[in-house]
Amino acid sequence: MDNPEVVLEVLDLVKRFDGLVAVDHLNFKVRRGKIHALIGPNGAGKTTTVNMITGENPQTEGDVLFEGKSISGRPVYARAQMGIGRTFQNIKLFSAMTVTENLMIGGQSKTTQSLLKYLADFRSARKEERHLREKAKEVLNFIGMYQYRDEIVNNLAYGRQKMTELGRTLMGEPKLILLDEPAAGLNPSERKEFIEIIQKVFETGVDMFLIEHNMDVVMNLSHDITVLNFGCKIAEGNPKEILVNEEVISAYLGEGYRRKMAKGAEGNA
Amino acid sequence: MKTARRNQYLWMGALFVFLALVPLFADNNYYITILNQMVINMIVVFGLNFITGLTGQMNLGTAGIYAIGAYTSALLSKNFGLSPWLTMIASVCAGFLLGRGLGYPSLKMKGVYLSLTTLAFSEIVRIFATNLIDITGGTQGLKSIPRFSVGWIALDTNTKYFYFILVVAIAMCLLSIRITDSKWGREFRAVKDNQDAIESLGLDIRRIKIRAFTLAAMYGAFGGALYAHFNGYITSLSFTTDLSINYVIILMVGGIGNILGNMIGSIVVTLLPELLRFLGDYYQITYCILVLASALFLPDGLISLYGKVMGVFNKRSVAEGGE
Repeated sequence: MDNPEVVLEVLDLVKRFDGLVAVDHLNFKVRRGKIHALIGPNGAGKTTTVNMITGENPQTEGDVLFEGKSISGRPVYARAQMGIGRTFQNIKLFSAMTVTENLMIGGQSKTTQSLLKYLADFRSARKEERHLREKAKEVLNFIGMYQYRDEIVNNLAYGRQKMTELGRTLMGEPKLILLDEPAAGLNPSERKEFIEIIQKVFETGVDMFLIEHNMDVVMNLSHDITVLNFGCKIAEGNPKEILVNEEVISAYLGEGYRRKMAKGAEGNA
Repeated sequence: MKTARRNQYLWMGALFVFLALVPLFADNNYYITILNQMVINMIVVFGLNFITGLTGQMNLGTAGIYAIGAYTSALLSKNFGLSPWLTMIASVCAGFLLGRGLGYPSLKMKGVYLSLTTLAFSEIVRIFATNLIDITGGTQGLKSIPRFSVGWIALDTNTKYFYFILVVAIAMCLLSIRITDSKWGREFRAVKDNQDAIESLGLDIRRIKIRAFTLAAMYGAFGGALYAHFNGYITSLSFTTDLSINYVIILMVGGIGNILGNMIGSIVVTLLPELLRFLGDYYQITYCILVLASALFLPDGLISLYGKVMGVFNKRSVAEGGE
C-alpha cells in the first residue's frame, strides 16, 4: 500500500449533498516532489474535494490516503498535525492580531508545554515562546514579510494577507500544502510574487496541491493536472497534454484559450 | 503595543493600591462590605474573561458555578469541621470538574450550546439548592459559615478579610495576565477571531474552549467560596440567573477580553447600584439605561474610552498611516 512516490491519494471519492452528487467517484494521486493542480469550471467540486481531504467536510464514500495511510474519519486538526496544511479561498486569518501572532499560532501545534508546567516553570515556557517567535521571524524572512511583522492583519492589503496565511501554514511544517485559489484577488505583480514564493516553498521539499482558475499560474507551476467537470474527472496529465485535450477545451478552457496559446510563446507550458 | 501594555499594568497596580487605601478613609462596615463584594466580583470576572471575553463563548452559568463553589466550601467546612483553606481548594477542584464535565458536551458543537447548557445548569443548581433543604438550608440558607485565619491573623473583621481577598485578587490577576500572554491566551483569542481557521492549524478547538471554560469555572467557584466565608451566610435566593447576567454586564461594561477592563467593570458595576440608590423607585430603570447606553456607545467597554483618551492604542497606526 505504501508507495513512497505518492504523498496523497484519493480513492473513489464521492460527496453527496442530499440528492446532488458534488463529486462522483474521483480518483487521483498527488506525487511526491510534484505540484499538482486541480482545475475545472465553477461548481465542478474542487473546493469540495479539498474539504474532503482536510476533513472539514468529509466524503460520503471512498477513502483518502495520506502517505499510504487512510485518514478518513480523522478530525481536521489530526490531519493537520500529520502534515496537511492548507490556505483558504477567502482568507481565514486572525484579523485582530499581528502578523507575527498569526504565524505563532500556526506553529503552536508543534509545541509541547502544558499549562500547569508553564505556570510552574517560568523559564522553559519563555524559552518555548522565544523559539516560536524566532521561527516566525525566519518564516517571515523567507516569504518576504518581515517588515510587516508587527502590523495588525486587518490593516494589510489583500495580497499581504494571503502571504500571511501561507506563512501561518508553513509554521506547522506541513508535508503537503493545499492551496485553494492562491492567485484569486491578487494583482499581476502580487501574483508573480506569490508564484515565486510557492516555487520557493516547493523547493524546500513541500508538496503542493492547488486549485486555481488562472491558467497562467497553473501552467507555470504545476507538473500534474487533474480536470474536474460536474464532479467527474474528465482529464489528467501534464500541462501540455491538458492544453490539447479536446474535452478540457470544450468544458473549461474554451476555443479562445487554444488560440491564445497557439499564438503565445511556446515556452509558457 | 509594548508601552500600551505596560501602561495597563501600571493602571492595574494603581487601581489595586487605590482599593487598598479606601478602608483607611472610609472605615465604615457598609463600604467595606461593598469593597469585599467588588473584589470577589473581580475574581469571578477574571475567570469569565477567559471563556466569554477572550474565547468569545457566551457563558450564562456563572451563578451556578459560583453557587457550587460557595456550597462546597461552606458545607465541607461547616459540617465536617475542615479548615476553610482546604475547603476552598476543594471548591476550586469542584470548579475544575465542573468545567470539564459541562464543557465537554456543550463545547463539542459550535454555536450557542454553551450559553444554553450553562443557563440550564445554573437554574438546575439553584433549584437543587432551594429544594435540598436538609443539606443546603434552601431559601432559609446556611448560617454561620466559619471565617478563617492567615497564619496568626484571624480574619475576624470585614476589613481584614478585604485585605486578604485583595491579595488573592492580585494573585489571580497576575495568573490571568500570565495565561493571557501565553500561547494559550493566544489560542483563546484566535478562537474568537476566526473559528474556522483553528483546526486547519492542527489545534483542537474543543480542547481550547474547554480549557477556557474550565479556567472560568475554577475562578468562579473560588469566588463563590470566598463569598461564602465572607458573608457567613448563603441562600439559594442569591444564585439566580440575574447574577450570571450581572457578571456578563461587568465584563461588557469594563471591556471584553481586557483584564484592566475587568477590574474597571467590577468597580463601576458593583458601585453603580449604591451610587444610584438615592433615586429610589427610579434606580432600577436608571441602572438599566446606563448599561444599555454603555453597550450602545461603548461596545468595547470603558477600557476603550481609556484608549481613545490616551491615544495609546492608535498612536502607532496614526503615526505610520494606512498601509
